[in-house]
Amino acid sequence: MVKKRSIWPYLLVAPAVLVILCVVFVPVINAILMSFQSYDLRRPKDIGFTGLANYIEALGDAKFQSAFFKTIIWVVAGVGFQFLFGFMLALLLNKSFKGRGVVRAVSMIPWVTPGVLIGLMWSWIYDGNRGVLNDILMKLHLINDKIPFLAQDGTAFPGVIVTIIWQGIPFFALMLLAALQGVSTDMYEAADIDGAVGWQKLFYITIPSIKNTIFVTALLRVIWVANSVDVIFNMTEGRFGTLTMSVYVYQKGNALDLGYASAMAIIMALCLLVVAIPYLRSNFREEG
Amino acid sequence: MRSKLFAKKTMALTMAALMAMGALAGCGSKSEEPAPAEAPAETGGDQAEAPAESTGEGVTIKFQYWADNTDYSQLMQDIIAKFNAENGKGITVVGEEAPWDGGSYSENLFNAKMGGGDVDVSTWKLTSTPLFVNNDLLADLTPFIDAWDKKDDIDQNMYDVMKQAGGSDSIYVMPWNVQVLYVYYRPSIFEQAQIEVPTTYEEFLTAIEKCTLDTDGDGKTDVYGFGMRGSNGGQEPWGSFVHGRGGSFEDMTTAESIQGMQDFIDIYNKGFVPPSAAGDGFQQIIDNFKSGLTAMTIHHTGSSAQMVETFGDDVSAFPFPAGKGQWTSMGDTETVIFESCENKEAAFEWVAYLAAGEGQKMWCEGTGNVPVSKTVQAGDFFQNDRFMKASIDGQSYAGILPILDTTTEWISTIWPETMSQALTGKLSAEEAMNTLQEELYR
Repeated sequence: MVKKRSIWPYLLVAPAVLVILCVVFVPVINAILMSFQSYDLRRPKDIGFTGLANYIEALGDAKFQSAFFKTIIWVVAGVGFQFLFGFMLALLLNKSFKGRGVVRAVSMIPWVTPGVLIGLMWSWIYDGNRGVLNDILMKLHLINDKIPFLAQDGTAFPGVIVTIIWQGIPFFALMLLAALQGVSTDMYEAADIDGAVGWQKLFYITIPSIKNTIFVTALLRVIWVANSVDVIFNMTEGRFGTLTMSVYVYQKGNALDLGYASAMAIIMALCLLVVAIPYLRSNFREEG
Repeated sequence: MRSKLFAKKTMALTMAALMAMGALAGCGSKSEEPAPAEAPAETGGDQAEAPAESTGEGVTIKFQYWADNTDYSQLMQDIIAKFNAENGKGITVVGEEAPWDGGSYSENLFNAKMGGGDVDVSTWKLTSTPLFVNNDLLADLTPFIDAWDKKDDIDQNMYDVMKQAGGSDSIYVMPWNVQVLYVYYRPSIFEQAQIEVPTTYEEFLTAIEKCTLDTDGDGKTDVYGFGMRGSNGGQEPWGSFVHGRGGSFEDMTTAESIQGMQDFIDIYNKGFVPPSAAGDGFQQIIDNFKSGLTAMTIHHTGSSAQMVETFGDDVSAFPFPAGKGQWTSMGDTETVIFESCENKEAAFEWVAYLAAGEGQKMWCEGTGNVPVSKTVQAGDFFQNDRFMKASIDGQSYAGILPILDTTTEWISTIWPETMSQALTGKLSAEEAMNTLQEELYR
């Protein structure tokens, strides 16, 4: 039987494709074009093609190099701990206990709170003069003098990482909880009969069963966290050793040096592609 | 099977590309191509005709402004309402507030205008002028001002500063008010520290040290001598230290300029300022002073009302004292009319009302800012106020940062970043000053 070709499906997806073209592809093409130009709006008369000059400058820029390594730490520590705590929370919420619904709802609060508010809230917590963290630590006699957590190199970066971890835990918990609920109880019962203990069930049943969800969720978070600006910008503005690539791109873009910002953004996107492609390919290959 | 696997691979690659492209999307959302500069003859012709436009009957002017607090927001809305009710020319001003956001106001406004935003008039900082003028976004106000009956109510020096900012003989910026920075201090703490109001830069440094007090004898500092602003906006008080040693913004690499920076670093390292100072911005220095954590801080009359509300008579002010040199920041605020405004004459009625009319009086009395109108300056309100006196005393040596196309980035990013590195020991005073010089005159 020959299927009849219809234009309808194409018409139905056309608006979505059009929107994606307008809001993603056009700006991306624009950014790529700008990255090859001296495109500083403060000096509009100097705008012109400069080839790879912006890329060469970025790769030799000590600030960009530092931001690159900071971004790796930011992503690895941020997403790593988000996964760890999110997984623990998901396992907890997968158990039956009184008030589970309330706990599930409350645990989503960090995820639904805007990044700007989270940045402000944690800035107050860390405040060097009136912050609650200093107050608690002093009352516990763990410190003698107040610590300006967000105004010194040693503590600012860990401080913002803790904040992004706090923000991202619910997303992992939510995704992993949904996956956990799809794992058949038969396998656990069979494992019980075979005498498997808790960790064995975790590593041989639970994790393999939800592996794909873990992969996709982690990949999404890696990209989101790497691109995240709001938390760092609102807490430290990229100072005191907290400058990541995305914040640096934002700063340069905000300073209207769009050519240089675009070049850095493209380098960053290529780095993310390096992470994303093998990750997704291996994932799909196993599925296939 | 093979084609299915190929399809999956393609999908995987596409997904990865789409997700990573998210990083670029924001960067690409640039504003439109800057319009080519008009020929001077055409520009002149347009401007010459401008005052002859309609008087704005039934005209709406979209006005964007920032306000430092909610009281000032309300005050601006009151001024707008009064103007709308009384102008008698059918002009309706619609005021929309946007956050100052540590100086990002100007950058956001620029992005909005380059993207075709419909703001007609905006409050302004001189430092943004080159950027907007270079992109032909500002209307030339010269013909309007020349034809204005209250032109002489504003000192000619103000117009000269406005011309300097625009880099030509044209005036693109309308004077509105100035804020001269001075030093707030607590007389009760000075008494406790047994010091007088400093009259020289050296005495000021000593006062900072002596006002750092352990009031309860537990070995910890309870009052810090000075509320340092190490974050955005801190370049203004910092500039006073640099000039106090005889340095300047023109060459920040001289021994005098470096010594001024060293003083700034020293008072941080010696614990005469709160440990959080490297990250403190406007809100923190004000809160720290109001809570009694600091004995002195630097700001302008815009915060005097809340200081008096907090301390009553136990707060006063003195102009930043002279050392080898003397400088304080003249925080300027002006208004501009955009070239895209279709009713420039009506828009000028509004900015003139703010510069020398009832709007000037209401705003300056309500905010405590120093008026530019000589008539308003002569009023009792401005003659009998101790903070206004400190402002007026500082006017003779008040100045602004060099206005270059790099200044906005230098203020919002370079200075705070360099200062944080200098205060935390990653850069020496000399290295920091070299960076600041290099970045400002790039």
